[in-house]
Amino acid sequence: MASKAIFSTIRRSLTKPRGGAVSRGHHLSTSAATASESYAGDEHAIVMKGVRISGRPLYLDMQSTTPLDPRVFDAMNASSIYDYGNPHSRTHLYGWEAENAVEVARIQVAKLIGASPKEIVFLSGATEANNTVVKGVMHFYKDKKRHVITTQTEHKCVLDSCRHLQQEGFEVTYLPVKTDGLVDLEMLRDSIRPDTGLVSVMAVNNEIGVVQPMEEIGRICKEHKIPFHTDAAQAIGKIPVDVEKWNVSFMSMSGHKIYGPKGVGAMYVRRRPRVRLEPLMNGGGQERGLRSGTLATQQVVGFGVACELAMKEMEYDEKWIKRLQERLLNGVREKLDGVVVNGSLESRYAGNLNLSFAYVEGESLLMGLKEVAVSSGSACTSASLEPSYVLRALGVDEDMAHTSIRFGIGRFTTEEEIDKAVELTVKQVDKLREMSPLYEMVKDGIDIKNIQWSQH
Amino acid sequence: MVDKGQVIRLCRSLLRAGRQLPDYNIREYAKRRTFDGFRMNKNLTDHSKVEKAYAEGKKQLEVVERVVKVYLAYPPKTKNIMELKLH
Repeated sequence: MASKAIFSTIRRSLTKPRGGAVSRGHHLSTSAATASESYAGDEHAIVMKGVRISGRPLYLDMQSTTPLDPRVFDAMNASSIYDYGNPHSRTHLYGWEAENAVEVARIQVAKLIGASPKEIVFLSGATEANNTVVKGVMHFYKDKKRHVITTQTEHKCVLDSCRHLQQEGFEVTYLPVKTDGLVDLEMLRDSIRPDTGLVSVMAVNNEIGVVQPMEEIGRICKEHKIPFHTDAAQAIGKIPVDVEKWNVSFMSMSGHKIYGPKGVGAMYVRRRPRVRLEPLMNGGGQERGLRSGTLATQQVVGFGVACELAMKEMEYDEKWIKRLQERLLNGVREKLDGVVVNGSLESRYAGNLNLSFAYVEGESLLMGLKEVAVSSGSACTSASLEPSYVLRALGVDEDMAHTSIRFGIGRFTTEEEIDKAVELTVKQVDKLREMSPLYEMVKDGIDIKNIQWSQH
Repeated sequence: MVDKGQVIRLCRSLLRAGRQLPDYNIREYAKRRTFDGFRMNKNLTDHSKVEKAYAEGKKQLEVVERVVKVYLAYPPKTKNIMELKLH
């Protein structure tokens, strides 16, 4: 035993010290100072698109997509090996097995939203579902109903479908939202006309995270007997969703927002009272004639398992995500002032935190936050130069809209990641504010809005 | 009848299996979820509920072991920032 100890001490003293020798050469380098500290093993840094980062960034962008849950991955693997039959083949075992798998997934999805499995239609994602509903409902009722009501903060696919309808001759009312992001119910009531064919309001906004008053909107639509469509891609599995309580006639769901696979989604189409819909994809009449085409069995199975998991883990995840959100918000607010939360803080899904930092330029903030994978509501993430239309609909000033950052917290986020994100954000914002003459003026008490900028 | 020793052994195997996961976020989640899962069911007295929870835990252990094998078959080429030692 003693000899073992001696040998191990000898071995320890002979091996190189960890890390120290490697990075000692770096502090003399005159390369451009980036916001990141030098990490041990910097030779293995990732260089992509002209940016050098020492490792994979923290993933805080859960609203754009979520990583695949290992339990979903496990179920999909088994399915892709064995369930390769066409679920619509009625004549042999392979078809029957695949069909069984799809039906099991259908029941899992239906249970999550409180619907019957016969009312679920699988398709390629929430975008396809939104397109199918908006265009399909209006095309079906085009003789009697010519008007659609939606909000200004909807997802691009809904707004684009409405614009397509406008080009065909329909009329669309884009309801403005209040400064906290919620729809004004009186304005909704006033804009309803006798020829209104559809009301479309998303349940949880993907940019600012506010939860709309779904039950009230559903009640108004029921009074006036108008079909109510909601894009619940960000809502299912995160807030309790019930199609009966909300009185929705159509719902769009997406797989990759609830730790499921990409390329699959579902559409809920109410059967009682029956709402009719013209399909977007014509063909063999699969999925009740509403979406023809062979189903991707393994994707559908993955989506089903993701929905079942979401139902089981909703409470646990909600507690964890709320805790992390408070930690993030308090951590940033303790060290920085001029931090504004975009959208209502009360009626909000905890995993989406959209913050604007005053007196800081948005693109330079994002450039410095390369070690945190976040999204922003500003121009550099979109092809055009204008700031996000959602923030503009909230009435946020242009300069604040440019500096908005959306932190997405999810099931797999850890406390250490949140602490690190807080540290990196605070450091970058402080650095930019120190360099900013505008911030100096504000600290001296000058009101920026009343400055007369001289013209040369 | 599931006894205390079996439950503790199941917890330990789940933790040991979860530790091998190569992805930082999923590894931390496996650890936290295992602890919280066993803690939540700590005070169950009804035998059938205990059996059900134990069976559920065994199923999750199988899932984790399978998943670890596949994840390790495709090792990650880069390290997560949280895993690198800061200087």
